[in-house]
Amino acid sequence: MRINYERCGYCGACVGVCKSMAIELIENRVVIYEERCKRCKACIIVCPLKALEE
Amino acid sequence: MRWVLKDEYDVVVVGAGPAGSMASYYASKNGAKTLLVEKSQEIGEPVRCAEAVPKLEEFNIPPSEEFVRSYIKGGYLIAPNGRRIEVRGGKTEGYVVERKIFDKYLAIRSARAGTKIAVKSRVVDLYPYEDGFKVKIIHLGEEYTVKTKIVIAADGMESSVAEMAGLKCKKNPMEVCSCAEYEMTGVKLLDKHMMEFYFGDLSPKGYAWIFPKGDTANVGLGVIDKKKKAIDYLNEFLEHPILEGRLKDATPVEFKCGGVPVGGPIEKTVDDNIMVVGDAAGQVSPLTGGGIYLAMSCGSIAGEVAGKAVKKGDYSKETLMEYERRWKERFYNTLMTELKYKNILQKLSEKELNIIAEVIDGKLEEVDVKKIMFKVIKKAPSLLKYFKDVIG
Repeated sequence: MRINYERCGYCGACVGVCKSMAIELIENRVVIYEERCKRCKACIIVCPLKALEE
Repeated sequence: MRWVLKDEYDVVVVGAGPAGSMASYYASKNGAKTLLVEKSQEIGEPVRCAEAVPKLEEFNIPPSEEFVRSYIKGGYLIAPNGRRIEVRGGKTEGYVVERKIFDKYLAIRSARAGTKIAVKSRVVDLYPYEDGFKVKIIHLGEEYTVKTKIVIAADGMESSVAEMAGLKCKKNPMEVCSCAEYEMTGVKLLDKHMMEFYFGDLSPKGYAWIFPKGDTANVGLGVIDKKKKAIDYLNEFLEHPILEGRLKDATPVEFKCGGVPVGGPIEKTVDDNIMVVGDAAGQVSPLTGGGIYLAMSCGSIAGEVAGKAVKKGDYSKETLMEYERRWKERFYNTLMTELKYKNILQKLSEKELNIIAEVIDGKLEEVDVKKIMFKVIKKAPSLLKYFKDVIG
């Protein structure tokens, strides 16, 4: 999963749908722990700004 | 600041939004030694919300000029063909506030009741420890371990804290409204005391809104859509003919976005030594996406129950269940009914929405969905298929 930091609005919606706890929002920076990611794409669906891509 | 993270507490509340600040206020008021932990360096930032709040008097909070930007008397529900339904009074009354200031005001109110607050402090893990939790917190790159009897998870949409303790509160993406919003100045409002709600294909499975906010207005929308993004719908809405050019001279002063859990409450909001409140618990109106009233009410109950548990010296699930019983007694049925209505609303085509608007014809005193349904079915029996589950 890749994050486009230029697009990200650091709202944390992606964090709230990540059942594998693979995403964290630290201040205004989304961090993805790739080793936990199960590629379910829930974060991509819910992002209001298209800031996440595979 | 560091010393607050080197102490032990009766109650640690995670997240300084309205739920967390109300919970910590009542925990402190009831004599519990309470710490409120906020991840951001500024309470109230970033705003992820359209900023409409209910009447505050029932919470004993005066609607101060400090944070109130507009007084709201009601709203216009606007069908795809532009037909307006006016709703006034009751639950539609309230305020549009500056959330940055409002949230900080609630945190200060909690601090005055005795709560200690840690900002720029991120909870990264919870471990069961004796009769409580050890809460691992990172502040300025340093790790602290805070012991507490009770944790109240008020970490909003992100919903990570209770999950760390084994409760399921992460949301299904198809039950989250993706929202984007510009706060704009120069908006021509229909009425400076009325909210505007737009339904139809301009915002699938959600709605678009214009909320008056003093010198500005919040212009935004929430959608559930696998392909097209909220921001793209929003940019189209700004130029939508239904607005008849009322945003022509408007210009933004802020951009906000966020996710709103509209799938109803999570199943378990309590376990040994932990309670979940607010957005994290799915305490959001599935129909409107409004969460502040529920967050403040449920947060208050959780804080009170925490205070009582501390006095008793019993932090077990059985004792904390008083919180779940009480919030469910007040809100569960309404939330579940709204969930059904939301599912109907999401299925209606633009044509059907227009029929409903025509049937209601003008004004509504209070949004009594049942009454509206019967009226609609009488005039447009073809819509019965949507309502039969709810009526039966």
